[in-house]
Amino acid sequence: MAKIVVLGSGIAGHTAAAYLRKWLNKSHEVVVISPNEYYQFVPSNIWVGVGRMKPDQIRFKLEPKYKKWGINFKRAKALTIHPEGGKDSEKPYVTIEYVGQGKEGQKEVVDYDFLVNATGPQLRFDKTEGLGPEHGHTVSVCNFNHASHAWAELQKSIKKMEAGEPQNIVIGIGHPGATCQGAAFEYILNVYHEIDRRGLSDLANITYITNEYEVGDFAMGGAYIKRNGYITPTKIFAESFLAEREIYWIKRAGVYKVDDEKIYYENLAGEYKEIPYDFAMLIPAFSGPGFKAFDKQGADITDKMFKPNGFMIVDADYTPKPFEEWKASDWPEVVQHPEYKNVFAPGIAFAPPHTISKPFTSPNGTKIVPAPPRTGMPSGVMGKVVAQNIRDVVKGKATLDKLKHKASMSKMGAACIVSAGYGMTNGMAATMTVFPIVQDWDKYPEFGRSLTYTVGEAGLAGHWLKWFMHYMFLHKAKGYPFWWLLPE
Amino acid sequence: MANTKKYLTRITRGYTEFSYATIPTKFTRFMRRCIIWQAWRWLVLNIKILRIVAFGHS
Repeated sequence: MAKIVVLGSGIAGHTAAAYLRKWLNKSHEVVVISPNEYYQFVPSNIWVGVGRMKPDQIRFKLEPKYKKWGINFKRAKALTIHPEGGKDSEKPYVTIEYVGQGKEGQKEVVDYDFLVNATGPQLRFDKTEGLGPEHGHTVSVCNFNHASHAWAELQKSIKKMEAGEPQNIVIGIGHPGATCQGAAFEYILNVYHEIDRRGLSDLANITYITNEYEVGDFAMGGAYIKRNGYITPTKIFAESFLAEREIYWIKRAGVYKVDDEKIYYENLAGEYKEIPYDFAMLIPAFSGPGFKAFDKQGADITDKMFKPNGFMIVDADYTPKPFEEWKASDWPEVVQHPEYKNVFAPGIAFAPPHTISKPFTSPNGTKIVPAPPRTGMPSGVMGKVVAQNIRDVVKGKATLDKLKHKASMSKMGAACIVSAGYGMTNGMAATMTVFPIVQDWDKYPEFGRSLTYTVGEAGLAGHWLKWFMHYMFLHKAKGYPFWWLLPE
Repeated sequence: MANTKKYLTRITRGYTEFSYATIPTKFTRFMRRCIIWQAWRWLVLNIKILRIVAFGHS
C-alpha cells in the first residue's frame, strides 16, 4: 500500500492531497506536512491589505478539514530529505520538526513511497536591507498576517491625509530579481481606490516601482493583445491603468536598501537613485525552503536535488543558453525529479529553467529581471497532474518512467485579474489571460502566444470574475459538494 | 475618475514617460461600467478561461 507525503499546504500541495485522497482508497496513506495552521487563498490577501476582507474570510483551519477527509496532517516543518533511505531505513524518508499540535520542537522521521514537495516560497526580506514588516520598514501582502499589518499601516497614512498631510506611497518590487508584479499592481490599484473614494487622491503621491523592463511585463515578458484594431503590448494596457489614476512608475529598478525615510534603487542605466516614502509595500525575493538532502550513506546531495536558490530540480532543460535560444520545451512537463522519480515538485517548489522575461544586467553587474511567476492557476493544475500521475502509478496504470499526465507552463494558460474596489458596481478590474504562460516561439512565431486566448481588458466583468473566483476556489479548497468539478 | 482634468494637464505638459500613456475616452470608461456590455464580457471571459484551463493539462 502506498504512502504519499505532501510537503506544503498551499494551492499546489492542498490540491494534490485533496485529489489523492479522493482517488485512492483508505488502504493508501496521504500525509500532509506543513507548518501552517491555515489554508489561505493567497490572491485575496490583497483585499485584506486594504481592509475589505478579514483574514477569516480567506482562510480555514487545515487540521479539522484533513481529519474529516482522512489525511494525516502533521503541523511541522520539513528539515531534510533522504531520497535513498538511510542506514536504518530502506525506504526514503523526510525528517520533520513539529511547530504545533502540542508537539512543538519534537522531531520525527516520516517515510514515503511518493514525495510531493509543494513548499511555497520563503519570503526573503533579508535579501534587501531594511525590507519587510518584521525587521524592516516596509509592509507586505504576501500572507494574511502581513496583509492585516499592511492595512493597519495604510490606515495611518490615510488618517494623516485626512488631517491634510500629503503622503508618498510607494508600492512595487523590493528586489532586483523578485516576482509577483501582478500582486503589487493589484495592490497599488486597490490602495488608490481606497484613497480616491475618501476624496484624498490630491494628497497622495503614488508611485509604482518595478524591476520589469516595461510596466506590463508581469514577469512573463509582457504579452500582446488584440484590441480595437491593433495588436497592442501589455505595456500600453498597464501604463494606461496607472496614468488614468495618476500613479507614476519607475521601471527597470532593483531596490537594494530601505531605511525609515527612503527607498534606494539601482536602475538598468547603472544609476543609484532614491525615493522618499511614508507608506511602502514592496514584494521580497523568493527562494525555496532550504532543505538539505542526503544519500543512503549520509553524504550531502543537496545540489543534486535543489538549485542554489532552494527550488527543486525537475524534468526541465537547465542547460545555460542565451535568451534567443530559449524554448518552450525547456519547461518541465511532469515536475518530476530526474533521478529520484518518486519525488515531484509542483507549484512554486520547482526550479524554473530560466526566467520568462529577458534578463538584463546593469553596468555595475546587477541583474535586474523578474523571476518567473507561478500563480494559483498553474500551481493548482500542476498539483492535480502530480496527483493524477501518482494515482496511475499506484493503480498500475502507468510507471514512473512513463507518466501520462502533463502540465507544462509552456502549454498551459493563466488568468491574472487585477481588481480594485468592492461590490457589484463599484469595482474595476484589468483582466489578463495569457496562453501559454511561457511564450512558444515555434508555435506562435510572431507574438509568442495565441492572440485568441491572450486577452487584456478593463471593466466590471473582470471584477465580477475575481469575486466569483474567490468564492469558487474557497469552495473547492474546502471540499464542499462537487468540488472536483471546479477547474483549478 | 476623480481628477480627469488634473491628469490630462500633467500628461500634456509633463514630457515624462507618464505623458505618453494612453488614456481611455469617456465612451470607453462608460463601457467599462455598462452592466449589459460587461455581463456579455463576463460570459466571454469565463468561456476563454475555461478553455485555457482545459488546454492546460492532458
